[in-house]
Amino acid sequence: MRRALSLTVVIVTALLLQTTVFADVKLLGVRPELMYLVTIVFAMLEGPSSGAVAGFAGGMAQDFLLDAPKGITALTLTLVGYAVGSLRQYIVSPSPLLPTFLVGGGTFVGVLFNRFVAFLLGQEATSVLYVFKAAALSALYNAILTPLLHPVLRRVAESSRSRRVIRW
Amino acid sequence: MALRTRARSARLLVVVLVSVSLAVITIDYREGDRGPLAVVGDAALTIISPLQEAVSKVTHPVGNFFSTLVHLPAIRREDELLKDRIAELEQQAGTTAAELDRLHQLEELLGLQQSLGGDVRTIAADVIANGVSNFEWTIEIGEGSGAGIVVDDPVIAPAGLVGHVVRVTLNSAIVRLIVDPDSSVAGRLESSRTTGLVSGEGAQDMRMGLVETTTEVQAGEQVFTAGYKIPDFAESLYPPNVLIGVVSRVVQDSTALEKFVTVRPAVDFSSLDTVLVVLPSEGG
Repeated sequence: MRRALSLTVVIVTALLLQTTVFADVKLLGVRPELMYLVTIVFAMLEGPSSGAVAGFAGGMAQDFLLDAPKGITALTLTLVGYAVGSLRQYIVSPSPLLPTFLVGGGTFVGVLFNRFVAFLLGQEATSVLYVFKAAALSALYNAILTPLLHPVLRRVAESSRSRRVIRW
Repeated sequence: MALRTRARSARLLVVVLVSVSLAVITIDYREGDRGPLAVVGDAALTIISPLQEAVSKVTHPVGNFFSTLVHLPAIRREDELLKDRIAELEQQAGTTAAELDRLHQLEELLGLQQSLGGDVRTIAADVIANGVSNFEWTIEIGEGSGAGIVVDDPVIAPAGLVGHVVRVTLNSAIVRLIVDPDSSVAGRLESSRTTGLVSGEGAQDMRMGLVETTTEVQAGEQVFTAGYKIPDFAESLYPPNVLIGVVSRVVQDSTALEKFVTVRPAVDFSSLDTVLVVLPSEGG
């Protein structure tokens, strides 16, 4: 219950920031993709299941504000959350830069996948060049924001974590 | 063992969530603008738009501050310089007091409204948020069906054409900008009076299609709305003779069937604060 509530707060906050503050603060004309960042960070901290759930919920929330066929972002972020969560279990690097790289890479691949699905569903596309540029820049932007937002999201995740028994 | 069970349950969860996503995509794709999902979407928008308006009011100055940090100082300085120069030229009289800005905007809108003719009803609205995606060029305004706005209403600004309304809630509306790839506007070239179809290209300049190769087009020429219907292509939602933009590039290609003309929008969409929505006439 507490987890659902904190996830909702995080998602609504991310949406508000995405449509207001980051509409003004762009990196070479491109906004970050905060929902991708949130999903990937949650997946890293909490594993594939929570990553998929966070991605699905965040994606759905974002989709209902879009004019595109609803569900595309939810599909993308569910897969991104699961993939990053699973991948994380095989990485033992203690590098503090790991979140940054995972967020950057995950966002880039995720945005490209999202545009591909949207293209298959007949959404008018801009040039392929723009899609790659926007994917790369929003990935870079997300990577830059990660060191700032990662500690905040980790706090949220840890405070809402139920004291479950870990069965190995 | 437990680990493997957990991995399996995670996989099952993902399969379920992906299936739900695919189901939602399919339903929404088939139902379009009138389905139950669109209703849920509008409800979500109704709830979030007051929040956006509040956040926007607080963070707009903060956003400006951060964008100063993000941009390279040199670019910023040049940008400011150019903006100042534009403002100076536009105002001509030379008054730049900040308190006059809002008044000035509203006066411009009033002048604009009068230029459309007395029988056109309009309403001024503040821009409260931008679109959520890098691939959709929309803005959200702080007036909705409560003020009489309906879907397809044209939206204009003092500088020129902005776009049209695509979604309405009680207290807000989403406007698709003319630079969105889904947007097409019938445009007329100023000097040759030739018409063409101006389509959005996102971050790039708009593209004016259906212009015959024999037409004389000069870079710098203004493009206005044509305000009529091109059969099977686009029914003009927009009032005639509103400035769309200025021709930025003309590519001569004798083998092509139409001229390649790009149009730079007259409106600077990144600094749009107040717009004017043209309401449908009372007769229908």
